[in-house]
Amino acid sequence: MRRTRHSHRLTGTITIMAVLSLVLAACGGDAADDDAATDTTETTQEAEAGDEPEATEEDELDGDTDDGAAETEADASAADLKIFMAPKFTGLAYFEVAREGGEQAAEEIGFEFQYIGSDRAETTEQIATLTNAVPQAPDALVVSAIDGDAVAPALRQARENGIAVVTYDADAAVDARDLFVNQLSYELAAETMLDAALLNSPEGGLVAFISASPTAPNHTAHVRIMKELIDSDSRYSSLSYIDTVQFAGDDATRSQEIALNLIQANEDLKVIISSSAVSAPAAQQAIVNAGMSGEVYATGVALPSSVREFIQDGHSEAFMMWDPAELGYIATVAAYQLATGQITAEEGQMIDAGEAGTYEVLADGEVQYNKPLMFTAENIDDFDF
Amino acid sequence: MSRHLRRYAPELLLVALTVAAALWSSTLSPFFLNPDNLLNSAQFYVMFALMAFGLFPVVVQGEIDISLASTLAVGSVLFALLSVSDVPFLLALPLVLAATAVLGAVNGVLVAYLGLPSLAVTLGTLGAYRGLAYLLAGDAGVVGITPDYLWLGTQRFGGVPASVWLALAVAAAFAGLMGGTSFGRYSYAIGNNAEAARMAAVPVTHIRIGAYALAGAMAGLAGLVWVALYQSARGDNADGAILVVLTAVVLGGVSIKGGSGRALGVLLATLLLGTIQTGMQLANVPGTSQRLVIGALLIGSIGLPRALQLIRQRLDAPIAPSQTDGGVLVKGSTP
Repeated sequence: MRRTRHSHRLTGTITIMAVLSLVLAACGGDAADDDAATDTTETTQEAEAGDEPEATEEDELDGDTDDGAAETEADASAADLKIFMAPKFTGLAYFEVAREGGEQAAEEIGFEFQYIGSDRAETTEQIATLTNAVPQAPDALVVSAIDGDAVAPALRQARENGIAVVTYDADAAVDARDLFVNQLSYELAAETMLDAALLNSPEGGLVAFISASPTAPNHTAHVRIMKELIDSDSRYSSLSYIDTVQFAGDDATRSQEIALNLIQANEDLKVIISSSAVSAPAAQQAIVNAGMSGEVYATGVALPSSVREFIQDGHSEAFMMWDPAELGYIATVAAYQLATGQITAEEGQMIDAGEAGTYEVLADGEVQYNKPLMFTAENIDDFDF
Repeated sequence: MSRHLRRYAPELLLVALTVAAALWSSTLSPFFLNPDNLLNSAQFYVMFALMAFGLFPVVVQGEIDISLASTLAVGSVLFALLSVSDVPFLLALPLVLAATAVLGAVNGVLVAYLGLPSLAVTLGTLGAYRGLAYLLAGDAGVVGITPDYLWLGTQRFGGVPASVWLALAVAAAFAGLMGGTSFGRYSYAIGNNAEAARMAAVPVTHIRIGAYALAGAMAGLAGLVWVALYQSARGDNADGAILVVLTAVVLGGVSIKGGSGRALGVLLATLLLGTIQTGMQLANVPGTSQRLVIGALLIGSIGLPRALQLIRQRLDAPIAPSQTDGGVLVKGSTP
């Protein structure tokens, strides 16, 4: 009897193994399909090859390793060049638009482009992504850092392995990357957001701030500078502010709750400002839901597609942003020029991004894109992202 | 022989799955078998392993602690602050571990003395400890950690990173603790039936608080690993990591209802999770698909043995099921 039961168990174990490998195999297939569906660059061909006999893909990747390891120097021809873009997390419209810019650069110049990362906005996930990017020997990494200090060791390791590192959107520690393509200087961002606030509420009034978290360096800097401008600059003297900053963690539901609480707790509140492209539209939605349209306004950073209806329906006068696609394009072009040795990230060098403009490398490898866009009823229909 | 096979069936399943996952990963990506990369990736999973071992006795006792990732953040921030204040590492280590053990013990007191549900208590401290970490770290976080705090991340022994040795040592310590001490025996007894254990003069309250304090200290140690690997600390360190930790414990065959599970299983489950995730990340599998695979793995590893067991019970109806093994495969198999 005992033997029978044991053999049952053995059969069981084998069955589990078989089923699980099927599940795993199926998911592997899905993954490749996902890539194939969304990519238009060389990656697509590779992902499709992945569904065919495996040897093909492996050979191809092996070929890439040798090239990547042996010749990250200037003589690497564009066709063999491989650039990875790692956003804070995948799936957010903002980063997807920036990805399109990167893909456009890859198509025009002719190199391999891959978009990598977890769909969770967690530092540990991003560190794992970057750590595992290094052995794949890309020629350059284009990164938006969640925690610029915690990802620094992984990025330093990448640089030690001859990988050029460019940050965009959110910077990492200065010695962990070659260049930082800053979408907007903190000062310009703060001013533009206050201008947007005044477009909404020309007579000024009380302002409240919603940020992502106390550890989001750009949000913290924006709020600090906005407070300074309201205190000291005569253009904004009609505004006053609630000193306490609320944190919504780039979460739409939390942003709505916080906005609603702010409205209820402050009768004379006029404008809610957020640097988060999630929180600003969510706060406006909360205002509309609460029937407070025209009395309170939300503004700040937002994708035009997320605020088009608010602006068209007259709930809000203005939101601001920059063109994330062009930002992704410039960052990827800069990464390409670093990888091919055309630039070395020294102060004073120029990055020629074609129609997107020419940008100078400033102190500490910072490049300022600095093209704020103000979305109003007149121009909101001109933007398709 | 067959008895041993059976006793360790859940662990053998994990080993088999890990081998399968490694084979799969090596076909997914030609970079998977690169030894440097494997060791780097192993280092990445050390803090999850440390928290999983800390959580293990708590779950064996039939409780839960979801505040551990927040406790890690308090630990990492404290280590970083003491480092930049030039406190010697050998003084900081006991201080921080004691502090995080106290945070754990607070959970334990609320659960054991006041009889509050552990999920609710640790859900509360998850937020509270995270807030504490933010308060301590300030807006910008802490950088400029001194080298004496970084040896876990920089030293290698026999080519293997020091942090990986630490995880193995902790695994051995927990195997000994749960398998060979009265703390371990009492923990399983409490998990099986807390009332009966109390009647049998088991100091239930103290054992529970002890388990929570130990879990807190392990999270503090994981905080040291964070600082050593990432040379910085912030209030949001390891936010969200508790999901991986819980997955490792449950996948390792520790019954969420309490009363069973072994340290070896927890170690192997962490290894399996690490193998699969590293493989998928090396192949740049999109994040959503990665989560699908991990979810399927968890459901599969728990659900399938249970389903097979039910089928077997039907087939073997006349035979009384064995009660000798402690693993998930037979737990709760009494008709």
